[in-house]
Amino acid sequence: MTPLVSEPFIWRWIAIAIAVLTVIVTLESWIGHYRSGFPLRAQYAPLVAGIALATACLGLALVPRVEWVRLVVQWAGWVAVFAGVTGAGYHHYYGIVEKAGGYRWLLHHLMYGAPQLAPLALSAAGALAVLAAEGVASGAVSPSASVSRLALAVVAIALAGAVAQTGILHYRGAFNTPFMYAPLAVPPLAALGTGWLAVSPAVGLTGVVRVLLWATFLLGFVGLGMHLRGLDRQMGGLHVFLFNLLQGPPPLAPAAYATLAGVGLLLLRTW
Amino acid sequence: MAHDSRRLLASPMHPIFTHFTIALTASSLAFDALGRIFDVSSLAAAGWWTIVGAVPATIGALVSGVTSRRRLAMEEGTGRNWLRAHMALGPTFLGGLVASAIWRAATWLDGKPISWAYLVSLGAVVAALALQGYLGGELVYRFGAEVRERYVKLPNEREPAGEPPRRSRTRPV
Repeated sequence: MTPLVSEPFIWRWIAIAIAVLTVIVTLESWIGHYRSGFPLRAQYAPLVAGIALATACLGLALVPRVEWVRLVVQWAGWVAVFAGVTGAGYHHYYGIVEKAGGYRWLLHHLMYGAPQLAPLALSAAGALAVLAAEGVASGAVSPSASVSRLALAVVAIALAGAVAQTGILHYRGAFNTPFMYAPLAVPPLAALGTGWLAVSPAVGLTGVVRVLLWATFLLGFVGLGMHLRGLDRQMGGLHVFLFNLLQGPPPLAPAAYATLAGVGLLLLRTW
Repeated sequence: MAHDSRRLLASPMHPIFTHFTIALTASSLAFDALGRIFDVSSLAAAGWWTIVGAVPATIGALVSGVTSRRRLAMEEGTGRNWLRAHMALGPTFLGGLVASAIWRAATWLDGKPISWAYLVSLGAVVAALALQGYLGGELVYRFGAEVRERYVKLPNEREPAGEPPRRSRTRPV
């Protein structure tokens, strides 16, 4: 029997992890855009691109040998990359440039305006999906496979972006619990280590990066619990569900750390 | 029929899922520890399948817990603080359980025996589970979460002073 985490299977597991990441990003974008009342039609774009990408990735995990499925994943991936980058432009223009004060109130807009880096999470999921489709075709997961190293580089960049966005939002939250420093402690090291391995695969470093990615994986779940607690610290808590869901901390965002770390760990499985 | 299914979905499902989580996770630790000590492969297999079952049960517990919280109107105070700790610990425990299950799967796939490090870490996860269970028990039995003013009054039961009247099981003839 072929082990479920042998090389041919790893890219299928990665496709499942990307689908989960995409669902998280899509739900968070729905919550954020619903809060602003969908004033622009373009705000529906991440929902459409996200649903298409998550479905395509699940298809890739189920039937990896069907060529048109791989093609659909690549298309959905590129659409997600484009939607994310365009979204970042929109967030920048409507969240900073067009706001009263503009760049002179940069820190205020970074904290209270549209999250500047959040749309790029969809781009990261799209880029990983494109690479997963390539990886399924070649089947290789090793330091010598360029597709593995590229995927590892995307994980590193996405983790670094998540850390930057978390830093701004936790600063807005005045680091009201010491746990809010945790995403600024472990994931940056994991991003650094993963990026290092992507550029220059060194066997000695793999073990350390694995430990850092496991810590980031667990941190994602701790964050999920802490954000749930944060939602309940609002008046009425989850009993006043929709209102506090919109006003509290992003409920699913910390799980993005766990999924990105999961992709990194899967890529390092056979290193 | 539709009304009955709605009532079933609205009923408290959280305790049902949590009991499966508690039983399966604790059993997994016990089976794996005994399998390791006495070198019995069937016990190790039981340890693997019970932790596999614990993961979906815990996801169900998490989702039903959020559903229960949505129904529960609880004022600020000690009970609410305990509830928040319970809510924060739930996903943390799930993370530990998923990580343990992945570790266990890797051990199984590599054909290696269970390591003492795995047993110690699963023991820590079970300790977190015990704390989580204690918090949940206190929320129900001390603070009356989801049961206060919901359970039916017995025919010979007196109303406590200052408490609002509850429904009686016996209907007036």
